[in-house]
Amino acid sequence: MIVDKSVASYEVLSPWAEADPIPLKGLAPRLNDLAGKKIGLLCNNKRAAPLILNVAERLLEERYPTSETSWFYARSFSVSSLEPDRKAEFDDWIKGLDAVVAAVGD
Amino acid sequence: MYDAIYIEEHDTPVVTFAFEHFFNDAMSAASSKGMPVVRIVPETIVSESTVVEDIEAAITAVADDMVAALTRPLTAEEKSPRPREPEHPERIVFKGNLEEVNRFFYQRGWTDGLPVIPPTEAAVAGMLTGTDLPADHLVAELEPRRGKATIEKIAINAVMAGCLPTYMPLLIAGVQCLADNPVSGMMAASTGSFSPFWLINGPIARDIHVISSYGATNPGNIANAAIGRAMGLITKNMRGIRKQIEDMGVFGNPGKYSWVAAENEEYSPWEPLHVERGFKKEDSTITLTFPQSFQQMMPFGTDDKGILATVIGSVSPARMGLFILLLTPAHARSFADRGWTKKAIKEYIVKNTIVPDDYFPRLGLKTDKPFDRGNVTGPGLGPQIFRPDPRNPDPVQVYVFGGFGSWMGFMQGGPPPVTRKVELPGNWDKLVAKYKNIVPSYVRY
Repeated sequence: MIVDKSVASYEVLSPWAEADPIPLKGLAPRLNDLAGKKIGLLCNNKRAAPLILNVAERLLEERYPTSETSWFYARSFSVSSLEPDRKAEFDDWIKGLDAVVAAVGD
Repeated sequence: MYDAIYIEEHDTPVVTFAFEHFFNDAMSAASSKGMPVVRIVPETIVSESTVVEDIEAAITAVADDMVAALTRPLTAEEKSPRPREPEHPERIVFKGNLEEVNRFFYQRGWTDGLPVIPPTEAAVAGMLTGTDLPADHLVAELEPRRGKATIEKIAINAVMAGCLPTYMPLLIAGVQCLADNPVSGMMAASTGSFSPFWLINGPIARDIHVISSYGATNPGNIANAAIGRAMGLITKNMRGIRKQIEDMGVFGNPGKYSWVAAENEEYSPWEPLHVERGFKKEDSTITLTFPQSFQQMMPFGTDDKGILATVIGSVSPARMGLFILLLTPAHARSFADRGWTKKAIKEYIVKNTIVPDDYFPRLGLKTDKPFDRGNVTGPGLGPQIFRPDPRNPDPVQVYVFGGFGSWMGFMQGGPPPVTRKVELPGNWDKLVAKYKNIVPSYVRY
């Protein structure tokens, strides 16, 4: 924009909202090897997600024949946030896994 | 990303595939949930692609990264991320002339690209006369950034957008609508370019000149233009959803500049939307939906049969989410004169928008799954592959606004409406009197 710079000067307030810092969390320990492990395949409701995980599953089976996979199909983009009726089912699924490969479809 | 964090919290390592253009978006989502160190493998699969060959090649190319993300030892930062410094922004963030202020705000990503009114102490104090709530009152923390939408921050963004103080009650209720809907943050960020559409009901529309008739959603009057604009700035500056960073709309949506109308209650033959939704007629309300598309068409005929035939013939299976039928007052009257209620119209549309059984085979598609991932079929639904949104028990809405013409319209997409009552300040009548004469006066030529 082009304006007359000879006129007023403005002292302006910030529109950017303050946000409290939240406690930060670290990652879970990593595995030494995927051989013999049970790998979860977490698929959200976007169409690319299962197609991505199909490929990932096949690659895991090729590289780690002793590994095992287990699928979970979300109805939404987040089971933990948007599907309270499936939380117990989701928790049980996680308990039986050593690691998870997730696809968000985006 | 939320599920990946949830699983990591349960001591199980996760790797997430995300399209390379969505890396910033994914990291913002992870940070908002307190885990800024998640392991994401960027890949080259276009969002929501169904091209199997592309997916095969893209995932194969990053297979080593997938394995490494689950097995590579954690760094110190990944084990225990350094706490973020609390934000203590200066109250006065800048001093300069109009051009300098605008450039400063634009370069920080705080605007919608159009010039803004400088939010000085005096301007913000003037805006605060539009509410009885104190400046530090917290209306909501807006996900995903969890920015604090205080009354003062709402007023600052309202000044920038060019609002009048009489719009403050609507903006406050608008923020409450945003907070009420758990997916409104996702809507604002979605590749689907869903845009908030704000429908105003009740006496406030007339008090502050929210247009309900000809060209209701056109530019040209302050209220319809500035209210939606302010809500867009709030989405950016409080919610933290910014173009090409968190807002990954593929086409984008001009409605995000401002998309506001009042319902044409004066000429609608039916109860207004807010009464239909449980409010009193004398209440003022704001209703939020997130359509991604807006289409206008000339119906086959302007009576009930002609309009409904146009609706049924125009709704395609690729659409998803909420379906809002936009009727002018004239069309609404045409329906009402023939005994139609809004409820009956909704039921007719849901009942009849069904795609033929051979839809997919005729197109050469070998699938028995719904075309639209939003329209999940279930037991008993058989081959009915399209309904407006079976997840929503009330998938069709009927809004009445616009002038007396024969065009009809649709808004399509997004979750069900959210409505909030507008709380007016004690001095409302005086405020309305102060600003009521601010209207365009067009010269005849």
